[in-house]
Amino acid sequence: MRYYSYFPGCSAEATASPLGLSVPPVAKELDMDLIELEDWNCCGSSPYGSVDKLEATCMAARNLALAEKRGFDLVTPCSSCYITLDGADSHLKEYPALRDQVNQALAAGNLDYHGGVRVRHLAEVLYSDVTPDVIGAKVSKSLKGLKVASYYGCQLVRPAVGFDDPESPRSLDELVASLGADVVSWQLKARCCGGSLVMSEQDLALELINKLLRNAQENGAQCLVTPCPLCQINLDAYQSQVNSKFKTNYNLPVLFLTQLIGVALGIKPNALGLQRNIVSPMKVLAPYL
Amino acid sequence: MERRIGVYICHCGTNIAGIVDVEAVTEFAQKLPFVVIARDYKYMCSDPGQELIRQDIKELGLNRIVVASCSPLMHERTYRRVCQESGLNPYLFEMANIREHCSWVTEDHSAATDKAKALVSAAVRRVFYQEPLETKEVPVNPNTLVVGGGIAGIQAALEIADSRHKVYLVEREPSIGGHMSQLDKTFPTLDCSACILTPKMSLVGSHPYIELMSYSEVVEVSGYVGNFKAKIKKKARYVDVDKCTGCGECANVCPVEVPNEFDLGLGQRKAIYRPFPQAVPNVFAVDKQGYPPCRVACPAGVNAQGYIALISQGKFKEAVEILRRTMPFAGVCGRVCTHPCESECERGKVDESVSIRSLKRFMADYELKVGREKAAPIERTKEDKVAIIGSGPAGLACAYDLIKEGYPVSVFEAAPQSGGLLRYGIPEYRLPKKVLDNEISYIKELGVKIKTNTPVKNLEDIFNKGYEAIFLATGAGISQKMGIPHEDAKGVIHALDFLKQVSLGIKVDLGERVAVIGGGNAAVDAARTAHRLGAREVSIIYRRSRAEIPAASTEVDEAEREGVNLHILAAPVRVLTKDNQLAGIQCIRMELGEPDASGRRRPVPIEGSEFDMSVDNVIIAIGQAVDKAMLPKELEYTGWGTLAVDQVTLQTDIEGVFAGGDVVSGPADVIAGIAAGKEAAISIDRYLRGVDLKEGRPTTIKRVKEVSKEGVETKAKPAMPTLDLEKREGFTEVELGFDEKVAIEEAKRCLNCGVCSECMECVKACQAGAINQEMEEETVEVEIGNILIATGYDAFDPSPLYHYGYGRLDNVITALEFERMINASGPTEGEVLLKDGSSPKTVGIIHCVGSRDKKYHEYCSQVCCMYSMKFGHLIREHVPGAQVYEFYIDLRCVGKAFEEFYNRILEEGTIFIRGRPAEITDVAESPEEQDKLIIVSEDTLIGRQRRIPVDMVVLSTALQPRSDAEEVARLFSIGRSADGFFLEKHPKLDPVATMSDGIFVVGCCQSAKDIPQSVAQASAAAARALAMISAGSIEVEAATAAIDEELCSGCKICYDLCPFHAISFDEEKRVCQVNETLCKGCGVCVAACPSGANTGRHFTTEQLMAEIEGVLV
Amino acid sequence: MTNTIVKAPAAEVSFIDEVCSIPGGEAIRSCIQCGMCTGSCPTASRWDYTPRQVIAMVRGELRDELLSSNSMWFCASCYTCTVRCPRDIKPTDIMHALEIIAIRDGLSTKRSRTPVMYKCFVDSAKGNGRVYELGMMLKLFLQTNPFAALKMAPVGLSLLLHKRMPLRPSRIKGRGELKAILDKARALGGAK
Repeated sequence: MRYYSYFPGCSAEATASPLGLSVPPVAKELDMDLIELEDWNCCGSSPYGSVDKLEATCMAARNLALAEKRGFDLVTPCSSCYITLDGADSHLKEYPALRDQVNQALAAGNLDYHGGVRVRHLAEVLYSDVTPDVIGAKVSKSLKGLKVASYYGCQLVRPAVGFDDPESPRSLDELVASLGADVVSWQLKARCCGGSLVMSEQDLALELINKLLRNAQENGAQCLVTPCPLCQINLDAYQSQVNSKFKTNYNLPVLFLTQLIGVALGIKPNALGLQRNIVSPMKVLAPYL
Repeated sequence: MERRIGVYICHCGTNIAGIVDVEAVTEFAQKLPFVVIARDYKYMCSDPGQELIRQDIKELGLNRIVVASCSPLMHERTYRRVCQESGLNPYLFEMANIREHCSWVTEDHSAATDKAKALVSAAVRRVFYQEPLETKEVPVNPNTLVVGGGIAGIQAALEIADSRHKVYLVEREPSIGGHMSQLDKTFPTLDCSACILTPKMSLVGSHPYIELMSYSEVVEVSGYVGNFKAKIKKKARYVDVDKCTGCGECANVCPVEVPNEFDLGLGQRKAIYRPFPQAVPNVFAVDKQGYPPCRVACPAGVNAQGYIALISQGKFKEAVEILRRTMPFAGVCGRVCTHPCESECERGKVDESVSIRSLKRFMADYELKVGREKAAPIERTKEDKVAIIGSGPAGLACAYDLIKEGYPVSVFEAAPQSGGLLRYGIPEYRLPKKVLDNEISYIKELGVKIKTNTPVKNLEDIFNKGYEAIFLATGAGISQKMGIPHEDAKGVIHALDFLKQVSLGIKVDLGERVAVIGGGNAAVDAARTAHRLGAREVSIIYRRSRAEIPAASTEVDEAEREGVNLHILAAPVRVLTKDNQLAGIQCIRMELGEPDASGRRRPVPIEGSEFDMSVDNVIIAIGQAVDKAMLPKELEYTGWGTLAVDQVTLQTDIEGVFAGGDVVSGPADVIAGIAAGKEAAISIDRYLRGVDLKEGRPTTIKRVKEVSKEGVETKAKPAMPTLDLEKREGFTEVELGFDEKVAIEEAKRCLNCGVCSECMECVKACQAGAINQEMEEETVEVEIGNILIATGYDAFDPSPLYHYGYGRLDNVITALEFERMINASGPTEGEVLLKDGSSPKTVGIIHCVGSRDKKYHEYCSQVCCMYSMKFGHLIREHVPGAQVYEFYIDLRCVGKAFEEFYNRILEEGTIFIRGRPAEITDVAESPEEQDKLIIVSEDTLIGRQRRIPVDMVVLSTALQPRSDAEEVARLFSIGRSADGFFLEKHPKLDPVATMSDGIFVVGCCQSAKDIPQSVAQASAAAARALAMISAGSIEVEAATAAIDEELCSGCKICYDLCPFHAISFDEEKRVCQVNETLCKGCGVCVAACPSGANTGRHFTTEQLMAEIEGVLV
Repeated sequence: MTNTIVKAPAAEVSFIDEVCSIPGGEAIRSCIQCGMCTGSCPTASRWDYTPRQVIAMVRGELRDELLSSNSMWFCASCYTCTVRCPRDIKPTDIMHALEIIAIRDGLSTKRSRTPVMYKCFVDSAKGNGRVYELGMMLKLFLQTNPFAALKMAPVGLSLLLHKRMPLRPSRIKGRGELKAILDKARALGGAK
């Protein structure tokens, strides 16, 4: 059994609820004990960091300080939470003045930050700690014949985090391959979907989403898989918007990484929240359920 | 003597005086003990400054001088000379560095002034204790070593040689010429690179004062300026440089093609090659990378790559000859070998292993088809007769090797015909007798006598008949029993007996239903034979799962196709009889348990799962054993019932008697038997010649290290054609073999792992007799006075820049690849071609790839702007109407006529876009981008992102230090700068010298530069070397270590530490001594000496302590 | 290093010094204006000034012109420029720094809804301790263009139907402590 502190992030409770649902059963099957960080708060995500740096850093630091109490690696399934928490942690280590201010503020909440926790992305933990080999050995329903395009998005691999290549990552492909699925090779697998700009600059975001869906489809994908809540919502919930704007007819299910792993591990569709995907994955997954 | 010290403080213009209060320092110095005079002056190093010191020495009788100014690196020599000219020993001078250590490193005036005072005080105290030292002169060896044969090395070598001094020019490639020989035109004049370079290359080749050592590397350097020694490794070229005429006949016949490095893999070359037609020396070289994996994997060491290479050329007869160098059984092994070679085949890592066995069979079939010439008997050169007992593969392989050594060999065979299990154990439909007969005839034609129907029971008899050595290869010819009830019932047959009878033509009565027990090749052979004899229901009963059946999988598949049933996971329990007549067999089902010693899962019976099969015959094929009854009594056996022999020599406990093959190993495959026969032949030959049997055995084989699979396109191997099922009534051969076309195609899939296949075709073709396949590398030592290093650069490999797509996207090429492509003598004969063979209509050239980038090289590579513009010109010249885009960050056209060249290119119509492209993609976003490479970049002068679709992209890659620059730097004790290039002594004033006297760096190994700069540096370094040669002698440092013999305890710590080998040990006096000409005064020995016997002259403890005290004042 | 990342600059502090003083902004001086950032940017076509020009404008002291432009608000934080920059500048961090200054100085553009969206986000996160997406979106549309909400309605509805849009916010227990922390941060120099 491996032990981690778990930071679901706000989206996993709401718009990305299939992610929130699918992580615990998959973790259990893979002998991971994800202990939810008690009373965690918003990570201090990039919008926050664009409004007030010190406050945003304090938001992140409260979580880091809470996690320090337990000492395990702090694991989040959300790419945005991941770079926000990790970025705040490295800034706190690099800039002592910032750290002093943040610690003064934290003191008001009876907390302090020492920098003793490692922030990690769930996908990285699955890849580096659990490893594709072990996951492959636990597969009960091989996804043989399913053509999957792994979509990394941006913040899982950039700015350079070291565990995978920022331009041509392969960790998700290896994880997908370990499930028996056919890995689709496509050029835009680590390109931007527009992120939160989908709310403020929808036209722009839809253009980016269209490019991604087209490239995945042209390379033969039956579905996409991504670990990131923001990416999933953009590609899944906005797919119909793209279809009406660009006169396309995509019908590409976009699964969370943990959902796809869950299917291969034989976990029930309900437990993985598969019904909650907007573009229904039931048809392409039917042979494997 | 009374100390009279003069102190001189230099302003260095404002360099020092701008920060340091020089007057205050002077005043301070004036008050120091023993200081007679302290002065400051604007430029102490100038003539009037020096004159000041001279005058004071003369007029004030100074006997110690301190100058506080710049770094000693800069002017220590100047002031020492001033002292010397004024009659003062130069070692009575000390320098304080108040520029680099004070004024340049702080903005704080008073701190700088305080530090300057401290340093002056230290120097004054130190100089008090300094003593006069005498420098020595050593003669300079007039020979010079030039390392690297590019344009810089060539130029330097010619300059020195033209002055009639000897030059050794060492080049590690087979030809000199370097990168310049790969270039097409040179900027800005656009003259042809080869045209201006090759005359110089041939001058080097013929120059009486140049000894050209190509294909060689410097491996060790010792000595010191004026008196170096260098060891040079001459790599085995396998071609005699003096005999080779460069005619090229060898390359014409060489069957092996590999990518040509000179053309960066865009073209092919042979295994015997010269890099390009104008090579100097105009001599070929053989590229041997070691034994290919197939050859290493073969127990008998058959050179498969050799015959495959020749098959690929249609040289089928020559191909068989290669196999016959090792063993005589092409047709046999081509059919029944277990081919361990194919498991190791590197091609298997790309798609599928080469069908090595089938190719072997093909060449044997071909020979049989066209008719084999009778083999010429081998002349008997040895007297000692050898007897071989048993004519199976081991016996015949041994006979074959020994007859070729000239021994008279006789083979004794108990059976009516020779061949052993090849004849009696393998059915005709798998190995036709005529194939075996042909190969045995060949052995006989060589002179081997085979006596059939001649069992040997007594070894004494053989020795008594005059045989000097015996090889026992009688095989393992009896079947093992099952150990179940009623297995002797009538109707139960043993596989070997069965197969032997069938092959002898003896009628075997079989019923309709036959069960075969076992899963080896003998079981499958027996089952298929039974089927052919008319049994209608044939079943193979095997106790493990299908995946574990030991018989060849193709054989099992064919058996099933023919209608044989497989009962896996079942084992016989008892033979069922009725009236002592076979009625059936009872079996039990098995399941797989834990893995056993062999790693396979152990079959375990499932209790109560017994079932009966009614059959008319049972054939047992569960193993074979050695028949002791057939062997002489006096031999020793192992616990397994096989003969006991020495593992290496195969000698039995009786001297002169050797044994191998199945009789020793137990039942094994044909190739293992052949290998044993060959080992025995080596032992017998040694035994008869009275040579040690074991020495050097087993031999170590140099396996090729890495096999490049770059650019290999996947291609499946051809299926083996087989006889139609309906035609398989009798014993006609089932596998039909490849035809010529298929064989050639298949042979071409070989990756030529070892490069040279050792087919020896070149040796046959060379009229000059220049090729020596046995050549070995050698090391020579030369003595020289100066060394010029001109090892050049490597081109940056852009593969790590994923976003530029090199290696991933077609038609993204590097600058050097483009040079070869545009070169009339290059792989495309000067045509600019896309992958599909068409010409590009638009080309993008990206500057600064790998340069000006913190992730790769921060420096500017200096030549890319210019060569990129040259490319723009050449593309438009070669492809009329082509559009060229140059993507640049800054244009650096800073040489003579460079700006004019830029203007010319602009006027020609090349489009310049200022911006470093972000990526090259093949993801089209509009119809005009379809099937193009799209360069995405900001046009920074417009301030907009642009997408430019092009057909070809040329990456103007950086020049970078050689990958082995660190080893070379260490070899020659020179430094490297932060960018990795070799470090010059001074970037402005001494750009070709290094910190190691007598060693110079020129050309691109010192920094990226163009041809004119490289040539100028080469001439400069040559002049520096010639200056030393013409002076005839040089001074060496007087500040050396000195050992007090009285105090030395002879512990030799210093001896081991000295990096210059300057310390020797006097065995008589038991003390260490310093060779003052070798000593560099580095002080390592002084610091290490435990007894304080070792002193550094000019760095005595007294002097250093005084200096420290001075600083602390 | 400096501790003034969120403090108003003194008048004599140049714009470039202001940016350099923000964690991640230090390397801006070493820019060679090669345009790698702009070329790599998936949204650059919408920027008033390209990412490279943004850096040039910081160095050119075109403070108000730049801060009131829409440029940095189009940064989607994909970090492609950051991993490719040959000078190890971190343009993404610089864009965020410029956003902070623009908001603090009241210069942020009205031509993009991003500044308002970010502020709605922050308010939501601050109040509940977690982001309440539905509430935040409603607020955004009310503050910018209520009619745009209609365009968004199908997406919102399908999220709702797929149980991905809870109608009630999730709140943390320690809202009091969080408020204390953020209040203290503001007292230490946080904007607004």
